[in-house]
Amino acid sequence: MGPLTRTVELFYDVLSPYSWLGFEILCRYQNIWNINLQLRPSLITGIMKDSGNKPPGLLPRKGLYMANDLKLLRHHLQIPIHFPKDFLSVMLEKGSLSAMRFLTAVNLEHPEMLEKASRELWMRVWSRVSVGLWESSGRTLDDFLTFPRHVFRVMILPPPGGSTVLPVTPLSPHRLPAVFSSSQNEDITEPQSILAAAEKAGMPAEQAQGLLEKIATPKVKNQLKETTEAACRYGAFGLPITVAHVDGQTHMLFGSDRMELLAHLLGNQVQWLTPVIPALW
Amino acid sequence: MGPLTRTVELFYDVLSPYSWLGFEILCRYQNIWNINLQLRPSLITGIMKDSGNKPPGLLPRKGLYMANDLKLLRHHLQIPIHFPKDFLSVMLEKGSLSAMRFLTAVNLEHPEMLEKASRELWMRVWSRVSVGLWESSGRTLDDFLTFPRHVFRVMILPPPGGSTVLPVTPLSPHRLPAVFSSSQNEDITEPQSILAAAEKAGMPAEQAQGLLEKIATPKVKNQLKETTEAACRYGAFGLPITVAHVDGQTHMLFGSDRMELLAHLLGEKWMGPVPPAVNARL
Repeated sequence: MGPLTRTVELFYDVLSPYSWLGFEILCRYQNIWNINLQLRPSLITGIMKDSGNKPPGLLPRKGLYMANDLKLLRHHLQIPIHFPKDFLSVMLEKGSLSAMRFLTAVNLEHPEMLEKASRELWMRVWSRVSVGLWESSGRTLDDFLTFPRHVFRVMILPPPGGSTVLPVTPLSPHRLPAVFSSSQNEDITEPQSILAAAEKAGMPAEQAQGLLEKIATPKVKNQLKETTEAACRYGAFGLPITVAHVDGQTHMLFGSDRMELLAHLLGNQVQWLTPVIPALW
Repeated sequence: MGPLTRTVELFYDVLSPYSWLGFEILCRYQNIWNINLQLRPSLITGIMKDSGNKPPGLLPRKGLYMANDLKLLRHHLQIPIHFPKDFLSVMLEKGSLSAMRFLTAVNLEHPEMLEKASRELWMRVWSRVSVGLWESSGRTLDDFLTFPRHVFRVMILPPPGGSTVLPVTPLSPHRLPAVFSSSQNEDITEPQSILAAAEKAGMPAEQAQGLLEKIATPKVKNQLKETTEAACRYGAFGLPITVAHVDGQTHMLFGSDRMELLAHLLGEKWMGPVPPAVNARL
């Protein structure tokens, strides 16, 4: 009798940087480990409220630490995450309600698109990359990530006679997985931004528009609410949480740094091969 | 030219469970990686105060999570950590001032004893293990860890004609590193408890007593204060913090779960939290 396929749920919000990190690691392992990865779009603000917790970035030293931590993890995990200077504004004022409702709608109607759509939304919040019109900004994504925003605002002007953006110089594949593409710094509360992310994920424009129209329906609102409540019942006080169902037991693991422990819980037939699986290169 | 030895500082407090976990992993790797591990006894309450942070266990869901997390990590990391039911009382009311001053004194006068003395103090707070007089409590440390405290209070009575505690049944070596031994549930604010930990660490009784007498001296008090302030300057808002000095850069890593990242920064190989070289010695 072969090994059973175990269900692993990932509850996440695109507003949460560590959710992106956990998401990418699990996406890498879903085809190597015998797991059924279930993505669960949730609302981190709802979890904070329900648990009485507060965003860690509100404590100055934690905010400083997160900025450095993400910078180191960017290289270690090979995920182009960039801590925006106005992250408190992004986190607290703008929120992610529309985006997470959109992903909820995607999950209800086109679940096969959920992984890519989620990734593109994270790229919009957490990967400030733009390409200048008449100036190549570098050979690797790292060069892009260091450009200050005001430079890009100046640079992105329509040239005389046309307004197409120059294609991105192909990035050295050994620096990043091919799944990442550049995206512009856009506010994910704006419908246009959500549509752009969906289209970049490969969704036809009409399909994306149709799903966007559904985000205010009771069905979608309630589903997001239920998923968020499910996370709370598992004991969440933040995101991401990974819930592993193994041998009749349920284990809730918080954060993006419990994946090696997850491998241990899944047992002898799985192996932890570092957060960047060598076979992918 | 061979690889340079890099300095890695670990700031910790015996009141902090994750400090113990980070400590054991780094102790395992200090003879595998080309690092100079510098242990820095600190005061977590001072760091909390300075940063404006609060102990995570004060939030009910975080406390529940920690209890489960430590239970899973006990097995994954092979460290006999047990979350005491009265941890809030342990953490908030009793504190660790005397214990950390004692370790500061150890570091000043007998730094070669610091690792073992720290371990024994952690065992007292975070590893509630006792051995009954007339009943073998099991073959593995896991069996010990599930005994409720009141059972042991009943069991530890002097038998007629003597009052020695039976020796611990040897534990299956593949379950735990040989460095761990059982210890009784004792309050580390009590001088007797600190002395017992020191002696269990292999320190002669007079030496331990001498260091205990120094914990109220300005030299020791100031050293602990300075070490705690150094952690704050590195940006600490809790413990443990691991500070790696690599190629002219300084990296502060918080928690016991950044050791694989530390390996990446050092250019060293990560072989999991229980690297093979440890097992080879058993």
